[in-house]
Order: sequence, then structure tokens, then C-alpha cells
Amino acid sequence: MQKQSLVESVLDNLPVAVFAKDATDDFKFVLWNKKQEEITSLRAVKALGNDDYDLFSEESANYFRSVDKAVLKRGKLLKVPEEIIDTKHRGEVHLRTVKLPVKDEKTGHDLVVGISEDITEQVQSLRQLEHLNKNLVKTNKELADTQMQLIQAEKLESIGRLAAGVAHEVKNPLAMILLGVDYLSRGIDPDDGNVETILTQMREAVERADRIVRGLVDFSSQRALSREPVKLDLVIEEVLLLVRHELTRTTTNVVIDIEDNLPHVFLDMSKFEQVMINLVINAVHAMHDTPRGELLIRGRSERIKDVIKNQGARKFEVFREGDRVVILDIIDNGSGIEKGDVSRLFDPFFTTKATGHGTGLGLSVAKKIVALHGGNLTLENREDGKGARARLILPTEIDTGKVSLVPKLLKEIDT
Amino acid sequence: MANKVLLVDDEAGFTQLLKMNLEKSGGYEVMIENDSTQALATALSFQPDAIVLDVVMPGMDGGDVQAQLQQSPRLSKVPVVMLTALVDSAELSEGAVAQAGTTTVLPKPVDLNLLLRVLEEVLPEG
Ligand SMILES: Nc1ncnc2c1ncn2[C@@H]1O[C@H](COP(=O)(O)OP(=O)(O)OP(=O)(O)O)[C@@H](O)[C@H]1O
Ligand SMILES: [Mg+2]
Repeated sequence: MQKQSLVESVLDNLPVAVFAKDATDDFKFVLWNKKQEEITSLRAVKALGNDDYDLFSEESANYFRSVDKAVLKRGKLLKVPEEIIDTKHRGEVHLRTVKLPVKDEKTGHDLVVGISEDITEQVQSLRQLEHLNKNLVKTNKELADTQMQLIQAEKLESIGRLAAGVAHEVKNPLAMILLGVDYLSRGIDPDDGNVETILTQMREAVERADRIVRGLVDFSSQRALSREPVKLDLVIEEVLLLVRHELTRTTTNVVIDIEDNLPHVFLDMSKFEQVMINLVINAVHAMHDTPRGELLIRGRSERIKDVIKNQGARKFEVFREGDRVVILDIIDNGSGIEKGDVSRLFDPFFTTKATGHGTGLGLSVAKKIVALHGGNLTLENREDGKGARARLILPTEIDTGKVSLVPKLLKEIDT
Repeated sequence: MANKVLLVDDEAGFTQLLKMNLEKSGGYEVMIENDSTQALATALSFQPDAIVLDVVMPGMDGGDVQAQLQQSPRLSKVPVVMLTALVDSAELSEGAVAQAGTTTVLPKPVDLNLLLRVLEEVLPEG
């Protein structure tokens, strides 16, 4: 073997491929270092004196040639961030290359010198990462779908439990209609002043039955989460329509105290009704042994700073200081929460109720739904120890709109 | 003189319709009380011959009202008809009537003919 010059041995020890072509002599290779041999699977003895067309496919050669010409024309260095060559042993190899024009002082020939770095592995891991990421997005989406299904399943379960009560609620207006029919069918005296009252009552009864049934149907429908500005009074009214029987059956007294001019809350009616129903039913259950059940539903609006102050430096991840929020409290005078249960209330399947009376999904699903609304749900004992208080803190601004829902959902799942 | 019937139920519309029917078809003199906590006071002043009571009411349920009535010497003998949605008409076998002492239990929604029949039975000749 010929003794290498210093320059040659330096070139052969470089971790990058170096080659040169003589543009004045048909772009024949005049330099081809060790790394270039490795990358291309082509020995220098084979490459030197040949051009791209001898060594690579025509397509690749055309491309290399056009770049070489561009380098010479511009007269300065050109970066090729990624190029692909087909090799015998390694298949596709990805290169990052810089090419520069060099004038051979001795011969006056124009050379194109190239320096290539093998980035195949990087490219491959990047591809893999992209693939993984795509899978992750897909998995997240599936998880989000599953979560929606879970929410819907829980809803169907509460519908099952509410249905009997709702049926009773419909029975009342039906009974009134029947009484009206009874009256009218027993002959009417033209001077009978009652007839008008009866017809009005019957009409109202039909409307009431319709409202109750429609309330249940709307509540049961499964739609994608869609939020709109809603008046809280309206939600509460709808909810009470569905749980009214549970309340009267247990002779629970309901007090509603909603601040005037409460700002609209931005929420999905049907999902939010689900939350409220869960909380109200929980309160009713907790008041099972209370002689005079009292349910207070209280709504007011505050700036988040005051909320934090009032709650003793508690942290809210979802709200910023100064945000205007609506605070909705559902306060009962029931059994309260056992100390040991406090940390587990929101765990799925945590229940203190007898088998068949609770699945323990209510609060966990309620919390999820409230989180989807960018809100916060807590449950704790009343300060006076006379029962429990569920507290909903809800954003009023529209800027936490639809777009943010999915990412928020995904983030939820991450944690 | 017509027999007097007191209706205690929180449903104003329902009691109004029932009153009109009882007046028209039974010839009774009917008084309505929609607030169960006032039932005893109203009964004491109205002195009904029969009381129709809804079992499930907010505030005080029919059972509580009935217990109050029983404790009042002037009312304990007055027949009570309790209306309840808590038992199914099916459970009370075909329009049947459950009876205990002076109290008769009827399923809701109330069948007017059945109520008229029961009232006729429990009331003294008008
Ligand atoms: N208002 C309340 N007062 C006292 N304890 C409560 C109250 N609300 C909930 N809890 C407690 O939290 C537990 C979990 O409530 P959650 O709603 O998740 O499930 P559940 O009511 O037991 O069953 P489900 O709602 O699935 O029918 C309850 O079993 C109860 O012990
Ligand atoms: Mg629950």
C-alpha cells in the first residue's frame, strides 16, 4: 500500500464523508475518503475516475449534478439539509451535505467538494417519534371518547333511577287532565263558570307533563360536548323538574338563593344537569335520617381573588386571579362526611351506600364534567358541622371556549 | 245540609279541579288547604266530615298531618282518605282500597268514581 500523505490520513480519519469532483473533467471523482467508502458501500478505487452516473442511479446522478452546477454557478457554499442515496449494503442512507466550489491552484480546474454527515439514524428515530406521537394522539382521542362514554353510562344509570320519580311527576298532571275530563263529561251547564278554569288547568297540565318528559328526553340525549352561555336559574329549574319527586318523597325543603344578575355561565346544559342531579341526589341520600331535610342551592358571583382569600390560600390551577366566576353551593343538613372518607370521595366506585344503592361513580363523573367546563368541584363538611356542602366554581368568560376543551381533556388523562 | 270535605294537597291546580268535581258530582261542600302545616288549624275551624289527604307533600307529609288529626279529640273520628302515588294501583289490586281504622288509602292518580264511592261509604247520610 502506498504511503499516505498527512492530508490524506487526516481526511481518512474524519468522522464525516469527504469527496471532490472535477467539474472541468466531466465531474469525475478525484477525492473519496474512508467515511465516504463506508457510507456509500463503494471503495475509493472504484469511485475515483468515475462520475455520479457510473456509481448511482440516473435519477440520483441527475440530482447530484444539478446541485453541483448550482454550487459552481453561485460560487459559494450550499447546504443540503437532507438527501438520500441508495447503497448496496445499507439501503437508503440519509445525508446532510454541504457542497462548496474550490479552484485547484495547480491545474486551474473547478472542483466541487462535498462533506456529508450520515443522519440516517436521526431521521429514523425522528420518524419513529412521529409515529409514536401519532399513536399517542390516537390513544388520547380514544381515551377521551371512552371518558365521554363513561359519562354517558353514568348518566343512563341516573336516568334509570330518576325515571320512576319522573313518571310520578307526570302522573300528577295526567290526574288533573283526567279530573277535567270527568267534570266535562258529566254534562255542562252553559252558565257554569268553572269550565274556563278547568280548560286552563288542563292546558297547563298538558304543558307541564310535556315539559317533564322533554326534560328527561333532553337529559338522556348523547351529544358531543357543546357549551353555550346559560342562565343558572334555568339549569336549576330543569334539574328540579327531574328530581322533584325525590325531594317531595323525602319531604325535603328546598331553598333557592340565586343572586340577581348572575353572569351567564358557559356550559353544556345536559352534562351540567347531570352534575347537579348527582349532587342533589347525594344530598337527599345524606339527609335520609334527618327529620327536616333542608337543601339550599345558592349561587353568586365573585372575583377569583376573593374566593382564594375566603378559602384560605387554596390553589386553583384552572383560574387566574381576577377571573370572574360563579360559585354554586349545594348545601344539605345531612349526615356529613366521615373524616376517613374525605380523601376518597371523588374516587371512582367509592361509595358508603349499600350494594345496589350507589355505584360510587357520581362524584368522580361530576368532577370530570366540571373539569371539562374549566371549573372546580369540591365537597366538604359545613363549618357548623351540620351537613355537607358541595361547591362548584364555574368560569363565566367565553374565552375558555370550545377550542380548549379537547386539549384540556387530554391533559386530564395524562395525569 | 251537605257534607263537608277538606282537601289537603300542595297541588293547587289538582285540588281546584277535585273540588269542582266533588261539588258537582257529590254535592259536597269542599274546602282546600294547600299548606300541609296549616292542615290542623284549617280542619279545626272548618270541622269537615271527611278529609282527603295527599301522602307526599313538602314540609309535612300526609302521615304527619294524620297523626296530628288523630291527636285532636274533635277530629280523631273524622274519616281520612289518603291519596298516595307511593303504592301502585296494581299493588292495591284492581281499584281496591286499603283500609285501617278511619283511614282509607287510595292510589294516585285518583279515580274520581272510586273516590266518590269511598266518600259516600265513609260519610254519614248527607
Ligand atoms: N352531600 C353528601 N353528604 C355526605 N356524604 C356525601 C355527600 N355526597 C356524597 N357523599 C359521600 O360520597 C360518596 C360517593 O358519592 P358518589 O356520588 O360518588 O357515589 P354514590 O352516591 O355512593 O353512588 P352513585 O352516585 O354512583 O349512585 C357517597 O357514598 C357518600 O358517602
Ligand atoms: Mg351519588
